[in-house]
Amino acid sequence: MLKTEINELLTQTGPGTPMGDLFRRYWLPALHAEELPENDCPPVRVKILSERLIAFRDSEGRYGLIDEFCAHRGVSLWFGRVEECGIRCAYHGWKYDVTGSCVEVPSEPENSNFCSKVKLTAYPLVKVGDVLWTYMGDPAHQPGLPEFEFAQVEPEQTYTSKRWQESNWLQALEGGIDSSHVSWLHSGGLKSDPLFKGTKGNEYNLNDLRPFFEVAEADGGLFVGARRNAEDDKYYWRITPYVMPSFTLVPPRGDHPVHGHFWVPIDDENTWVYTFDYHPTRALTPDERQAMKDGHGVHSRNIPGTYRPMENRDNDYLMDREAQRRGETFSGVRGIAQQDASLQESMGPVVDRTKERLVSSDTGIIKARQKLRKAVEALRDEGITPPGVDPAHHRVRSAAVVLPQDESFIESSREALTARPGVAHSSV
Amino acid sequence: MTAPLRPILANACARAATAEEARFRIDRPIGGRSALVFALDGEAADVIDRVAERPWRGARFLRAGGGAVLRLEDELADADVAIMIGTADADGAAASAIARACAERGIMTAGLILGEQLEVAAAVSALRPFARNLMVTEDEDDVAEVLTALRA
Repeated sequence: MLKTEINELLTQTGPGTPMGDLFRRYWLPALHAEELPENDCPPVRVKILSERLIAFRDSEGRYGLIDEFCAHRGVSLWFGRVEECGIRCAYHGWKYDVTGSCVEVPSEPENSNFCSKVKLTAYPLVKVGDVLWTYMGDPAHQPGLPEFEFAQVEPEQTYTSKRWQESNWLQALEGGIDSSHVSWLHSGGLKSDPLFKGTKGNEYNLNDLRPFFEVAEADGGLFVGARRNAEDDKYYWRITPYVMPSFTLVPPRGDHPVHGHFWVPIDDENTWVYTFDYHPTRALTPDERQAMKDGHGVHSRNIPGTYRPMENRDNDYLMDREAQRRGETFSGVRGIAQQDASLQESMGPVVDRTKERLVSSDTGIIKARQKLRKAVEALRDEGITPPGVDPAHHRVRSAAVVLPQDESFIESSREALTARPGVAHSSV
Repeated sequence: MTAPLRPILANACARAATAEEARFRIDRPIGGRSALVFALDGEAADVIDRVAERPWRGARFLRAGGGAVLRLEDELADADVAIMIGTADADGAAASAIARACAERGIMTAGLILGEQLEVAAAVSALRPFARNLMVTEDEDDVAEVLTALRA
């Protein structure tokens, strides 16, 4: 349960809000790199943290992310032409470069310096891995570039997809921290999904539906351990890292790739979900890559040409009661991503947390909210840099390990929970 | 087999989940939990003394470690969650006794160990078998945070 004012504090990310200020201390995914595939390609509208922006790639390959609207008459630059190292407004030809500087006002005399006085808000846009990242805060506080392992490995080892979720970012993120729903909502996928099936870990998962949970602090956020009984007085641990503000990793299964999510607020009622799979030591196989494109694992199958999932709220998520009855899916919705999204969207755009009834197995969610609130207050009141900004905090991994019952999952898994280039992940 | 009925009203399909609709969701009052908070050592007792000063819906705070004598069968009679608070000196035997009594009665157990991860490792190990949900934290505020979230 959260009080109304705390719920609003955590869920509102527009300009000038405390949580918005927090998000503006981090590099955030702004676009999938495939959205700007070549120089002078069409521009893309981007809404992030409630700000409407336009992204483009100029004639020299530089990425720009600037205010969507022309300074002249407020026309959307999406209708503009990307040409000769800038984007030109379709209305009267005003032209801007990737820094947002106006470089040409055709109606002014040739030797006019008027355009030097016109500048649109602009944010840096940098490609790291398959993602174009932006930093929307004060340049004086701009941190080093992201060092998440999924974006650091070779291109053949990683795959990223993107989907639109019609809910506030926090209820989406909380699904990524909450391991306790997996044995129920996603039970069908553990048996059949090509990116999950056939591992020893799945047997532990399905044989023990009442896991114990342990939450521990991490430099950048949290580690949430879910333990189930294994053989010989041992525990099977699935360890989920959460890096603030909105990055989560799913514990791996066997030699399947590792996956996770970045939850980015579009506005207070919509979220971009960047979903990735990577393998630390080998290329993804053609079959794995195809399965990801087909919406298996934690990816979605999207309506072609969009990032909207095929199963969405306009079609009741293509509910299949027969598949539900047969046990192929627990909820009747196909695919892990939309199984989650369908339920999180059903809560309403911003769930009213004054009415929820948490139980102690929600400890990870409780602690994540508390960390977010404290970080927001520390930044607002004392200017303290929040956890997860330092790129060193990004170098985490999820893990699935079997440990003796008396061992700490954190201490025994320190190395397993640290991203180490060229070293395989710890997985069962 | 008959074809499944398709919803014909906007309020009978997923599109009904709007902000406007959410304002009118049935608002039945939610009862609190009957929570018992046990301090497993002296330092934890100081913490729960401070936390107990806040207004709670019915949570009760008890000292369990260090030889404190409790009539668990009485204390647990109407409880539905038991939260054990400990530090590096947490009394594992007390945790075991509480957890066993809770298990017999189907009462959920949770544990909060306060302190730096390495310093409280032994206490965590002692509590691990008995707390279905365990949090290791350096932040004393987490005790109140968890109780508030649980409507204790």
